Amino acid sequence: MRNRIGVYICYCGSNISDYVDCEKVKDIAAETTDVILSKTTMFACSDSAQNEMIEDIKNQKLDAIVVASCSPKLHLNTFRNVAQRAGLNQYNYVQVNIREQCSWAHSNTPPQATEKAIKLVKAGIARAKQSQELTPMAIPSTNSVLVVGAGVAGMRAAIELAKMGTEVFIIEREYFVGGRAAQWNELFTTNETGREVVSRLYNTIMEANNITLFTGADIDSKTGSVGNFDVKLRIRPRHVKPDCKLDWGKFKKAVEVCPVEFDDPFNFGLTKQKAIYKNFPSEFPEIPTIDVEHCTKCGKCVDICDKIDLDQKEEMLNINVGAVLLTTGSSPYEPKTGEFGYKEIENVVTLQQLKRLIELNEYDLIFKGKKIKNIAYVYCVGSRQVDGENKYCSRYCCTSAIHTAIMVKEKYKTINNFHFTRGIRTYGKQEALYHKASKQGDIFLQSFEDSPTEVYKENGHTVVKIKDILTADKELEVNTDLVVLVTGMIPRKNDSINNILKVPIGRDKFYNEIHPKLRPVETVIDGVLIAGACQAPLNITESVKSSLSAAVKVNSLISKGKIELEPTLAQIDKLLCNWCDKCADVCPYSAIVKEVKNGKMFAVVHEANCKGCGMCLPVCPSNAIQLIGYTDIEIESMIEALID
Amino acid sequence: MVESKEYDVLVIGGGIAGEEAALNLANIGYKVILVEKDLSIGGKMIHLSKVFPTLDCGACITTPKVSETARHPNIEIFTFSEVQDIEKHAENDFSATLIENPRYVTDDCTGCQICEEKCPVVVEDQYQWNLVGRKAVYVPFSIANPRIAVIDIENCSLCGLCEKVCPANAIDFSQVEKKSTIKIRSIIIATGFELFDPLLIPRYGYGKFKNVVTSMQMERQLVPTRPFNNVLRPMDGKMPDNIAYVLCAGSRDETVGNPICSQVCCMYSVKQAQLLMGALPMADVTIYYINIRAFGKGFCEFFQQAKGMGIEFIKGKAGLIKEKENGNLIILYEDIQQGNVKEAEHDLVVLSVGMLPNTDFTEIFKNSRVEQDLYNYVNKVDELCCPAKTNIDGVFVAGTSTGPLDIPDSILSAGAASAEAAGYLNGGVK
Ligand SMILES: Cc1cc2nc3c(=O)[nH]c(=O)nc-3n(C[C@H](O)[C@H](O)[C@H](O)COP(=O)(O)OP(=O)(O)OC[C@H]3O[C@@H](n4cnc5c(N)ncnc54)[C@H](O)[C@@H]3O)c2cc1C
Ligand code: SF4
Ligand code: SF4
Repeated sequence: MRNRIGVYICYCGSNISDYVDCEKVKDIAAETTDVILSKTTMFACSDSAQNEMIEDIKNQKLDAIVVASCSPKLHLNTFRNVAQRAGLNQYNYVQVNIREQCSWAHSNTPPQATEKAIKLVKAGIARAKQSQELTPMAIPSTNSVLVVGAGVAGMRAAIELAKMGTEVFIIEREYFVGGRAAQWNELFTTNETGREVVSRLYNTIMEANNITLFTGADIDSKTGSVGNFDVKLRIRPRHVKPDCKLDWGKFKKAVEVCPVEFDDPFNFGLTKQKAIYKNFPSEFPEIPTIDVEHCTKCGKCVDICDKIDLDQKEEMLNINVGAVLLTTGSSPYEPKTGEFGYKEIENVVTLQQLKRLIELNEYDLIFKGKKIKNIAYVYCVGSRQVDGENKYCSRYCCTSAIHTAIMVKEKYKTINNFHFTRGIRTYGKQEALYHKASKQGDIFLQSFEDSPTEVYKENGHTVVKIKDILTADKELEVNTDLVVLVTGMIPRKNDSINNILKVPIGRDKFYNEIHPKLRPVETVIDGVLIAGACQAPLNITESVKSSLSAAVKVNSLISKGKIELEPTLAQIDKLLCNWCDKCADVCPYSAIVKEVKNGKMFAVVHEANCKGCGMCLPVCPSNAIQLIGYTDIEIESMIEALID
Repeated sequence: MVESKEYDVLVIGGGIAGEEAALNLANIGYKVILVEKDLSIGGKMIHLSKVFPTLDCGACITTPKVSETARHPNIEIFTFSEVQDIEKHAENDFSATLIENPRYVTDDCTGCQICEEKCPVVVEDQYQWNLVGRKAVYVPFSIANPRIAVIDIENCSLCGLCEKVCPANAIDFSQVEKKSTIKIRSIIIATGFELFDPLLIPRYGYGKFKNVVTSMQMERQLVPTRPFNNVLRPMDGKMPDNIAYVLCAGSRDETVGNPICSQVCCMYSVKQAQLLMGALPMADVTIYYINIRAFGKGFCEFFQQAKGMGIEFIKGKAGLIKEKENGNLIILYEDIQQGNVKEAEHDLVVLSVGMLPNTDFTEIFKNSRVEQDLYNYVNKVDELCCPAKTNIDGVFVAGTSTGPLDIPDSILSAGAASAEAAGYLNGGVK
């Protein structure tokens, strides 16, 4: 039992003190038994307040402290650190949240907010009294990482990690690297092509001797935890031997004889492809592949090239890594049939298709045999939806559409661009592109969400109609030859990874970080980080910034040989446990396993996996489980203080 | 000759970007020297109220970063200091001159502020954006780090009163500028941004009309440690009840030489408007805008929330601001949706000033020059793949030195800079 407790009530500037009578809370805390001192402070987290606490702990020989301030999500570690620096065990520190739970939640009723704060502080004191000295667990860590997704973000992180001395395994689900960027021509804002960027990165990866790349690869399963994940990779066959030294003439012939033909996803269905393919000459790795789903195994290509091997089998590979970095990127939103005429009106395409079209058409922009003169770009398709689920702005698309329109104009000169926008968001330096497009004569129109742009057929023409607020709400109609839907970003479908890694997903369906400012690339799953467009819509530069941030965090996490973990773990009393499977069933982290000793079955907690969430406690019929740091005694004493 | 001190990385600028970069590198084990020109680290962010889009209180997010940086065993901080004459001798081999300006107060200062009470000189307080005054001897602001006093020697009358009352004997008028040479292996520029000076747009009346304020002044009125403990208009101390925001003040405007969008002002205005609705529940808030740039994670939803709270958004740029006798202001603007020019009266106008580059970095190198981009920010020579790389190998750039950025983006940019620096320090791809 602790009996020299210090209590600090934080004003949080005025965030708390505007609604909670902090002085009163302090006075009541001071009267509680075993409380040696009770103070208020303007900002408990400020350096000066921290130093004051340290002095108090030392001078008054405090054996536990309670800080009533904001959420422990924000400052648990700040104050644990204070305790440590003062020579106190960090687990003898208790944080009470009187901001989110009192002043903010009950700002309409300050007296009640104060009353609640008093109760919570009393409960905190009760818990501090029962608090134990605990030691964090130190577990060994491997200085190697698995990067999932070899798009620009993933490759870039891999390279920097390798430079920092971390061994990298990077897997790509597709058979070629580069993700979306490989599909794009010139990129804003540097006008380098996506392909140049990808080949630069690929070549560096090949040069590095501590990066291993697998294409056609997925995660099959994962066990272990931060510092020590055992990951099983499934590597699907490419059906072309790895020692293939691509002979383009032979490859062409093989493509010729292949009898299978289907819509080419690389060109977003604008063209057809064969089962044996390679999308363009410098696509990496420089080895063709065979699409197993469509291939009939007729063997015609094998007759042409002996490097083709239709009998290749799937392989499984186990790797051991200290952390996993997800850079699985995003997909373009796929409009529903009929959404702005998509798939119903013949000349409605997506921005992605237009980008591919530009590359496929050298002199005139021809679509379905017709030369294009007027293009209408319809913005925010699949983003900022009023009725749909995607409330967010996709961030890259205004700039991307404008950049594409500029390319169109530069390449085909006579084309007119009409932009049907919801308010252009070319933030930052990208504004210069908007300027340029306006100068080259592009017409910008804008509607609000209450009157969306319409696309329909009239007298054989495709018409786009808008209630244009830029011309005082006039209804304007434009006859166009091509309607381009500026589609937003959605997260890539990745159900298997989501099931295996259990990374939290936000309302927008992108992966969620812990905190956008404090821990922007980390997730609540220790050792699993996220970066790039799988986290939120981002352009390439922004994705790379986030993946490099993740790289530096990964390196500092796993490069020291050991990792400290919370000692807040479930502990199972072997004698009480009769192995009913209930706890193992509810544990979201698969931390509980069965063990058998001398014929008796009982549950055991895998310490590195356990997150101390406490899910197992209530389901145990024999009350055999205790949560260290939240033992029954602690919780009961808190309840008593609350109802006192 | 004194031996020069050696570090792995020099971080120039202790705003959120500089702190994040320093911490990342220090956590890997590199020795970092952080040089900050101002009296405290924390940059602009430490002065903000709450921050979009999460509405966390700014101080609550920065102070822990600030104190973590200040305490880190691998980071040595020099505030009120500058670096000059940076020279590159070879890869991983730079030298620089470190200049420590005299505070005229020693580290013995406890921040008790007794000297402030006695000092007879009152000048405008730059840390409250001139909304109130301060003394010639002063602790910069309540959450400053280090929280020790300084004597503003230019305004000091040399009366010596502070020296007499200081219980810690910390006042020392004999201090002089200290110069030393440091050796470093790589450099991160994180010198941040400057605010656009609204005096450059005379038709908005800033400086002439008392009730035209900048967004930074409004920011200060909304922080917990605010000067008046309430939102007041400067002219007469009245609580405003009809507030206008003029967006793109000094951004997207070739006539003031800043054609680009500042990327943060839409969102901070939407944020301030929401905070004002809380602070002054009866007030009307109107935002005059060209486009609302709510592009980041959670931003669009944040903007919709503001609309839901009843904040009025008028598409149209303010042309001219006139003052009435009672201090109220008339805004002439083009109501784009209605297609005509209109007037509206407000009792307080906030200019949402944009960001401009801080070009200090052009002057601190001796035998080479850090390139600037078209808009005078640090040029990124390989923006797509190495977003922190400058034209000098071993010199990287973080935060708003690269261009306008909000806090989350500044942090990621700092992450990139620290990663690239770590890769460079460790010798590149092997
Ligand atoms: C009114 C306003 C409100 C805002 N609100 C928000 C918000 O709610 N949410 C959000 O995300 N963003 C907001 N922002 C943006 C935010 O302020 C910036 O993104 C962020 O502060 C940038 O940090 P930085 O470290 O790059 O630059 P800075 O904060 O400018 O830091 C640069 C540091 O470098 C120092 N320095 C400069 N030159 C030198 C030199 N030569 N030698 C040594 N040191 C030097 C400076 O003194 C400073 O400490 C707001 C901006 C404004 C103007
Ligand atoms: S970036 Fe532009 S097109 Fe894309 S969703 Fe946002 S506003 Fe719409
Ligand atoms: S962010 Fe908004 S207010 Fe700021 S310059 Fe851009 S458009 Fe104007």
